Amino acid sequence: MKPDKPTIKKLFAISTEGRKFQFPLPLKNVIRVNGRDYNVELREDEKYGIHVLWKNRRYPVEIVRTKQNRYEILFNDIGHTFTVETPISLQRKKILGKGKGKSTTLVVKAPMPGRIIDVLVREHAEVIKGEALVILEAMKMQNEIQSIAGGTVIRVDVRAGQNVMKDDILVEIAVK
Amino acid sequence: MKKIKRILIANRGEIAVRIMKTAHAMGIKCVAVRTSTEPDAMYLSSADIIHDDGDETAEIPVFLDIEKLIAVALETKCDALHPGYGFLAENAYFADKCKDNKIIFIGPSPDAIYKMGNKPVARQIAMKHKIPMAMGTPGSVADEDEAVRHAARIGYPVIIKAASGGGGRGMRVVRQESEMEKMFTLASREAEKAFNDPSVFIEKYIENPKHIEFQILGDMHGNIIHLGERECSIQRKHQKLLEEAPSPALDEELRKTMGDTAVRIARAVGYYSAGTVEFLLDSDRNFYFMEMNTRIQVEHPVTEIITGIDLIEQQIRIANGEELSMRQEDVSLKGWAIECRINAEDVQSGFAPSPGRIEKISFPEGPGIRVDTGVRAGSSIVASFDSMVAKLIVTGTDRKHAITNTKLALDKIWIKGTKTTLPFFRMLMRNHIFQEGTFTTAFIEKNLDQYHHSSEYEDNIAAWLATKLFVEENLTGNRTNISFDQGKELTPWLLRKRLTQF
Repeated sequence: MKPDKPTIKKLFAISTEGRKFQFPLPLKNVIRVNGRDYNVELREDEKYGIHVLWKNRRYPVEIVRTKQNRYEILFNDIGHTFTVETPISLQRKKILGKGKGKSTTLVVKAPMPGRIIDVLVREHAEVIKGEALVILEAMKMQNEIQSIAGGTVIRVDVRAGQNVMKDDILVEIAVK
Repeated sequence: MKKIKRILIANRGEIAVRIMKTAHAMGIKCVAVRTSTEPDAMYLSSADIIHDDGDETAEIPVFLDIEKLIAVALETKCDALHPGYGFLAENAYFADKCKDNKIIFIGPSPDAIYKMGNKPVARQIAMKHKIPMAMGTPGSVADEDEAVRHAARIGYPVIIKAASGGGGRGMRVVRQESEMEKMFTLASREAEKAFNDPSVFIEKYIENPKHIEFQILGDMHGNIIHLGERECSIQRKHQKLLEEAPSPALDEELRKTMGDTAVRIARAVGYYSAGTVEFLLDSDRNFYFMEMNTRIQVEHPVTEIITGIDLIEQQIRIANGEELSMRQEDVSLKGWAIECRINAEDVQSGFAPSPGRIEKISFPEGPGIRVDTGVRAGSSIVASFDSMVAKLIVTGTDRKHAITNTKLALDKIWIKGTKTTLPFFRMLMRNHIFQEGTFTTAFIEKNLDQYHHSSEYEDNIAAWLATKLFVEENLTGNRTNISFDQGKELTPWLLRKRLTQF
């Protein structure tokens, strides 16, 4: 049980792309878009499992993972990640965010479990955006793990032949 | 020749189910192999006899173990063996071993498998028979220096291919000399791993072609016909995602020319059984022989639909020594068929494999819809095998009609437990380049900004779900007074979350 806190009147769900969605509390089964209210319902039955009823159609929904206030949700087979904030936590985040500035280290993680076939970069190597860093084999497919930014490799955490789990750190890059 | 009475299915998944369906219709018994990786797999339910292979210590899966499969076939008194696709389907030594043990290999002769399986040999045969081909090396290339010399002669871009390859693995496009060393090593290594043979060869890379393949049927009496083409240009990293028959790029004349060429190649190796001749078609409608696949293909259903011919039945009849019951002029193409490969892949993470347990699965039923699958609720998509969940095959009177029907069918598929390629196909059916039929093999990499179709207000609903979850976790029992009239809905929703939380 959490200690008493002031009544929360609304919540914000912020997507990874930075889109902000606001919901008044208590949370109703309603979504407001362009000034119009639409009913939405979360349901469960034997045949379909957990699903959303939206405009008279069922959509599959799943929680892929949660971590603190961060939720990865699969809706209609498509993944969405949100952090949910109260007005207070959102305010705090804004203040903290200002002081910190932008993160300068890019941590490249394994997008799936598999085996490292080849490591194509070394420490101190300069890489450009889109450059292949590691070849990861999963389900008989070789996947090039590319850098999403240019910079200098500061750490290589894997070697060829090694098995990795999803989200294991592969390479860290100091972004320019 | 005596008739086949019992077949060992040397495969798993949907193709095992598919083969047994036809075999049963022909009154033939089937033996399937149970593995410790998937002891409750759906294909086992179709079998008359299940052979248990509980060998957890084995290094390679039983479907790649030649000695063991032969032993199982003999032990279970099978007079024939069907290899399906993948695994040992194109292994000439395996086909030969079957023959040695008086087991009918339901496929072509070991000789034909060898000749078409070894790409440099296949190239030489094609050259001898004046089959149009992309410029390339006469045989395998020893090292990157030799590769650089050949590439300079042929002209960049070139493509490095595995000599024993197929199915798009071990291929690398090289656009300039500086990339050669790295790409050569990668291709060779990948080839060794996938095909146990590191040798590679080089061909001129045809930019933005269409991938068109012809279905071949041949018997042991020298009759060879083709059953029209399949359009397989919707590919990602040389892996096919969607196939259709016929192709929007061919007219009767080109179909006849390419079909006759395909038959000529098959004839050059004395081909019998079902096989596929793959071509690249460039924007000037020139076509080039790429390779011949000496097995049943994943995408065979689209041909079955437009020709009305059961290809597995034909394979079995041919293996029995029967003569083809139809001639080329008897083959007519009717309607349009589209196959979507529904794989356990995450389209938002560049089609990364997404193994998992299928919790719920249901498919639409009705005329014009065929689903070939090897999974059901409770099945697992395991990382050690391929990521296929199901093939959705939809028919229409013409292409436009088939696309409309596919779009409707895709919305009725319900899969829970793993991410799939469904959002990709939902997007594809709405894409105008796909609808026009002008796409090439570069389509996915070049013409798409987004790999999935988003439904209306999808973000809003997902945001609402995240908020709901937050409320249930953090604010319940709090003075916010959220009412949970729905009662039952919450428990499993929260339970599931806790199971996956880490």
